[in-house]
Formats: sequence, C-alpha cells, structure tokens
Amino acid sequence: MSQQSERVDELHAEVARMRLRDPATSRDRALLILGAVLLVGGVIIAVYGYALSHATSDQRQQLDALIVAVIGLTVSVTGAALFLRYSIAQFLRFWLARLTYEQHAQTDRVVEAIKKQE
Amino acid sequence: MAGEAVLELRDVCAAYERIEVVHGVSLKVLEGSVVALLGPNGAGKSTTLKVAAGLVRATSGDVILAGRRVNGAHADDLARAGLCLVPEGRGVFPNLTVHENLRVATHTGRSISDIEQAAFGRFPRLADRRNQVAGTLSGGEQQMLALARGLATNPAVLLLDELSMGLAPLVVEDLYEKVAAIAREGVSILVVEQFARVVLGVADHAAIMVHGKVSAFGRPDELAGELQTAYLGS
Repeated sequence: MSQQSERVDELHAEVARMRLRDPATSRDRALLILGAVLLVGGVIIAVYGYALSHATSDQRQQLDALIVAVIGLTVSVTGAALFLRYSIAQFLRFWLARLTYEQHAQTDRVVEAIKKQE
Repeated sequence: MAGEAVLELRDVCAAYERIEVVHGVSLKVLEGSVVALLGPNGAGKSTTLKVAAGLVRATSGDVILAGRRVNGAHADDLARAGLCLVPEGRGVFPNLTVHENLRVATHTGRSISDIEQAAFGRFPRLADRRNQVAGTLSGGEQQMLALARGLATNPAVLLLDELSMGLAPLVVEDLYEKVAAIAREGVSILVVEQFARVVLGVADHAAIMVHGKVSAFGRPDELAGELQTAYLGS
C-alpha cells in the first residue's frame, strides 16, 4: 500500500508539472480557420494582381500588380501549410481509429468463420 | 482507507458538437476507493468517463486530478501522469498476440518480463494464451488482457468502461473480484457499468446517472430504491 501512496505522490508531482492550455482559446481550431482564410484570401489577391496588371499599360503599375500577385501567392502557400498542419492531424487520428476498428471487425469475421467450420 | 479526492468532477457538462449529453455532473473518487457510475443505456456514463480521461472536453465545469484543474489536458499527458482508461469494447489490438499487446506497455520504461510476470500472476489464463492473437481470445480473456495492459502502466487512477459488456455472469464476477483486489492495492477506480449488481459488491460509493445527470450518490446499500427508479421508472 505504501508503494501505492508513493504512486499517488508521483501523480501529484506529474500533474503539477503538466502544461495545460486553456481549452476556451482552442488555438488549433483558430489556426486551422486562419489557414483556410489565408489560402482563399491569397488566391483572391493573386487574381486581383493579375487583373490589375492587365488593366494598365504603365509598366511600373504592371510591376506593382505583379508584386501584389506574388504576395498573394505567398499568403496562399502559407495558408495552405497552416491548413494542412492543423487539419491533417485530425484526419490521421480519425484514420487510425478507423483502421483499428476495421481490423477488429475483420478479425471478428475470421474468428466467426473458423467457428462455423469447426 | 480513503483520504483526499484523487479525481473530482465538479458540475461538468459535455457535448458532442451542439448536443449536450452530460449536464452538470459532480462526483469524487477518493484515494484507494472504488466508485461505480451506474445508469441505463444512453445516460451519459461513458461520456463522463471520457471527460475524466481527457478524450472529450468539458464544455463547462472542472475536472480536477490530484488537486489540480486539468480541463484541456491531452489524454496522453493524463495517461502518462497515471490516469488509465480501459475503454468499452476492451481496446486490445486484435491482430497482435497477448505478448505483443503487453509489450505495448513497455513505453513506460518497465521491462516486458516484469510486465508479463505481473500480468500472468494476476491473470494466469493469459499465460496459457501468451502467443495467441488477441482477437481470437474469449471476451473475458480480452477484458483481462485490457486490464493487464492498463495495470502495466502502473496507474494511480483506473477508469473502467463497461467491463461486463458481452460477458457471461460468472466471468463478470471473476473480473470484479480482480477489480476489488486491484482496489485493495490502493489504486483509485472509477467504473462505469450498466449492470449494477456485481459492481455494487465491490464499490465503496456509487452514483446513478439518468439523462446526463447524477440523480443519486451514496454507499451501495443506500441506493437500492434509486436504482430501481433509474432503470424501471418511478
């Protein structure tokens, strides 16, 4: 029992050391949404820059418009990276759970078939 | 036996998306005690257990482990600290052998021989099935394996979800004798059960949940009337 008391003391120490986030801030979800917004916003900026460059014959304005388009693409790539980072973890967790479940079901079917053969 | 609360839920609410299924549940698991959470199907028992384990976030209320509010803690951090969940449906790896399933618990730093010695000492039937694929074990043996693997992590708090599911009454009684023995070693246990009779024999306290709320909490001998109302209606 004293060994278990030590374990409870360890639990207290482990929990005290634990780094906790405030669940209300939900940082992951905010970054996922930010990623999606940047992805779409970047594409809109790039298309706008492209259209702007065609709306003028002034080379300096065309250059500015191209720079805007490149910035848009950069924003879009950054957004895509953020979106992938924070969506793929959720997806993989789901996929892993599904694989485990399917393996479980498959083994049950095999066992059932063996029992029927016997 | 028991002193302070190792695990406590205070007015906890939980929801799946926008549908709230747990409405202000409060309960305490004292050090070295067994608390049974009983109630009919769909009462919110398993969700409450998942909130305690960090698998479902509480939408409001406090989850307190070892005196600290741990809302928002990751399930793996809680498990590492010493909170172990044995899930409904056993959660063994069906395509791995008993030995390989136990090997999974070596991440805690314990050697496989140490883990096997403890597991086979407690559940001798698993020793006979050491090289058998877990999916081909009987339901009772799978539950033993799930318990053995959980205990291999040396938990301070054990959360058990529907141990009796799909098992014959004799097997369930045998399993709950083991649970009582684990509790006597000082592990604090919160067990969710739909079938009350056996678990009340080993529980120090029990809570009855109906429609996402705790309708009664007390010693098992005090709850007979409430149990009847919960399962059969008034």
